[in-house]
Amino acid sequence: MTAYLVTILILVCIAIILGLALNLQWGLCGMVNFGMAGFFALGAYAAALVALSGAGTLAGIVVAALICAATCGATALVSLRLSDEYLAILTLGFGEVIRLVTLSESWLTGGSLGLPGIPRPLWGWVSEQNYELLFLALLVVVVLALFLVLEVLIRSPFGRAVRAVREDDTVASTLGKNVTMLRVKAFAVGGAIIGIAGAFHAYYLTYVDPSQFSAIITAYTFMAVIAGGRGSNKGLLFGAATIMCLIEGSRFLKDIVQVLDATQLASIRLILIGLGLILFLIYRPQGFLLEYRLRSSSLLARSSLNGATRMHDFKQEAS
Amino acid sequence: MIAQVVLNGFITGMIIALPAIALTLTYGILKFPNFAIGAMLTAGAYLAFICNSILQLPLLLSAAIAAVGLAATVVIVDRLVFSPLRERTTITLLVASMGVSFVLENMARFAFGNSARSFEAPIVRSMHIMGLRINFEQIVTAATALAGMLAVYVILRHTPLGRAMRAVADNPALAAVRGIDRERIVRWMWVIVGVLTAAAGVLAGLDRAIDPLLGWNYVVTVFAAAILGGLGNPLGAVLGALTLGVVEETSTLVIPPNYRQVVSFFAIAILLLLRPQGLLGTVRVKK
Repeated sequence: MTAYLVTILILVCIAIILGLALNLQWGLCGMVNFGMAGFFALGAYAAALVALSGAGTLAGIVVAALICAATCGATALVSLRLSDEYLAILTLGFGEVIRLVTLSESWLTGGSLGLPGIPRPLWGWVSEQNYELLFLALLVVVVLALFLVLEVLIRSPFGRAVRAVREDDTVASTLGKNVTMLRVKAFAVGGAIIGIAGAFHAYYLTYVDPSQFSAIITAYTFMAVIAGGRGSNKGLLFGAATIMCLIEGSRFLKDIVQVLDATQLASIRLILIGLGLILFLIYRPQGFLLEYRLRSSSLLARSSLNGATRMHDFKQEAS
Repeated sequence: MIAQVVLNGFITGMIIALPAIALTLTYGILKFPNFAIGAMLTAGAYLAFICNSILQLPLLLSAAIAAVGLAATVVIVDRLVFSPLRERTTITLLVASMGVSFVLENMARFAFGNSARSFEAPIVRSMHIMGLRINFEQIVTAATALAGMLAVYVILRHTPLGRAMRAVADNPALAAVRGIDRERIVRWMWVIVGVLTAAAGVLAGLDRAIDPLLGWNYVVTVFAAAILGGLGNPLGAVLGALTLGVVEETSTLVIPPNYRQVVSFFAIAILLLLRPQGLLGTVRVKK
C-alpha cells in the first residue's frame, strides 16, 4: 500500500511539473499549448536517449529541457505574427509530428516497442526497496524548486510584462515592451519545464513507448490548470493533485464495476475530463484560487515601510 | 504513376475540403477555431455506421440520417457549450472546443471500442480510364464533395440566409443593426457544419477504416487546408484542401506514407512564416 501511495505521489509530482509549465504558458501568457503530450514525449525520449548513451541522468534532464525549450520557442516564433489560434494548431501539429516520429523511426526510438532499460538518477544510493522513496524525495525537491522559481518569475518585472501582453498586447507594445520576445521566452521556459517533466517520467518508468504519450496528458494538464485557477501556481498544486488522484483512483473502479472493460473506463475518464473542462470554463473560469495580482494598496504599503500593513496586504494578495 | 498519385491526391483533397469549409465557416462567423472538427467527423462516421451495419440500412440512407443526426448534435453542442461562452475570448472557446472533442471522441470509443470497423458497401470493380485506375468509392467521393461544395456556394451566394451569414461574418454589429438575428444564423451555420462534416466522415470511413481516431487523424490537415486558404474564406479552404491532398499523396513517393500529417504541419509552418494571411486571405497580421 505504501508502494502504491508513493507511485501515486510520484505521478502527482510529474503532473504538477507539467501543470506548472502549462500554467506559465497558458495561465500567465495566454498561449495555448495543445502539444503538451508531444513536448512531454520529446523530453522523455531525449532524456532516455542521453541517459542510455551513458552520459548520465543529469545530462539527460538538461538536454531534455534544452531541446523542449528550443522547439517550444521555435513554435512560438513561427506563429509570432499571428493571433493565438495559430499557435494552438501549430503546437497540436507538432505533437502529432513527435508522435509519428516516435512510432516510425525505430532505429532511434524503438518504434512502438519503445526504449527499455533507462538508467535512474541516484541509483545505488539506497537499497532497491527504498529507491522509490528517494525518487519521490528528489521529485518533491524539483517541484518545490520549480514552484519557487516560477513564483519569483511571476512577481518579477518579466512576469508582469508577460501578463500585460496576455491582457492587451497592443498596450504592452505601446509601453515599449518587446511583445514577440516576451512571448517566445515565456513559451520556451514553459517548454524547458515540460522537458524536465518528461525526463523524470522516463527515469521513473525506466522505459518509454509512444502509448504513454496520448492526448489524455494534454487533457488532464489543461484540466489541472483550469481547476486550480489559471495563473495561480498554488491552486495548480491542488488542481493537479486532485485530478491525478481521481484518474489513478478510478483504476480501482475496474474491480468494482465489472461490466466495463479497460477501454470503456479510459473513455469515461476522458469524457469526464472534457465535461469538467467545459463546465469550469462556463461556470468558474477563474478556477478555485485566484491569480496573484499586484494591488496599488500593497505598493503604497511597501513604500510606507509599515511592516504590519505590508504583511496584511501580502496575505490578501496570496489569498 | 504520377498522374495516378495526383488523381488520388485530388480525391483525398475532396474529403478534406468538406470539414475545411465547415471549419472556415465557423471561424468566419464565430471567430474561433473549432478543434472539435475531427471528433465531429468521427461522430458522423459512427452515426452512419450504426445505421448501416447495425440497422442494416443502405449506405446512402445511412449517410443522410448521419448528416441530420450530426447537424442536430452540433446544434445541441452549440446550445450547451459555445453559446454560454459566446462573448468570451477566442482562447476560451478553442479550449472549450477541445473539451467537446474529448467528449465526442470518447463517447464513440465507449460505445464501439478501439477496433476498426467498416461500412457494408457493395464492392464494385474499379475502372480504368486512360491508364488511370479509378475506384467506385473515388467517384462517390468526388460526386459527394462537389455536390457539398456547390450547395455551400449556392447557399452563401444566392440565398437570403447566405447573405445574412456573410454579413454576420463581415461585421456582426452592423448585421445586428440591420435586424439580422445572429443566433438564428449561427444555428443554420452549425446545421451546414454538421451536414458537411458527417458527409466527410462517411467518405473518410469508406476511404479508411472507422475508428475513434478517424477524425483526429485529419485535424492537422483540415486546419492546414483552412489556414492555407486564409481562415474564414470557403473558396480558399477548398483550394487549400485540394493542394494539400495532392502534396500529401505525392509526398508518399519520397517519404513514408505515415508522415502525411507531417507534410501538412510543415505546410502550415512555412506558410505562416512566408504568407501569414493564407493564399487567398486578406491581411490580418497582428501589429
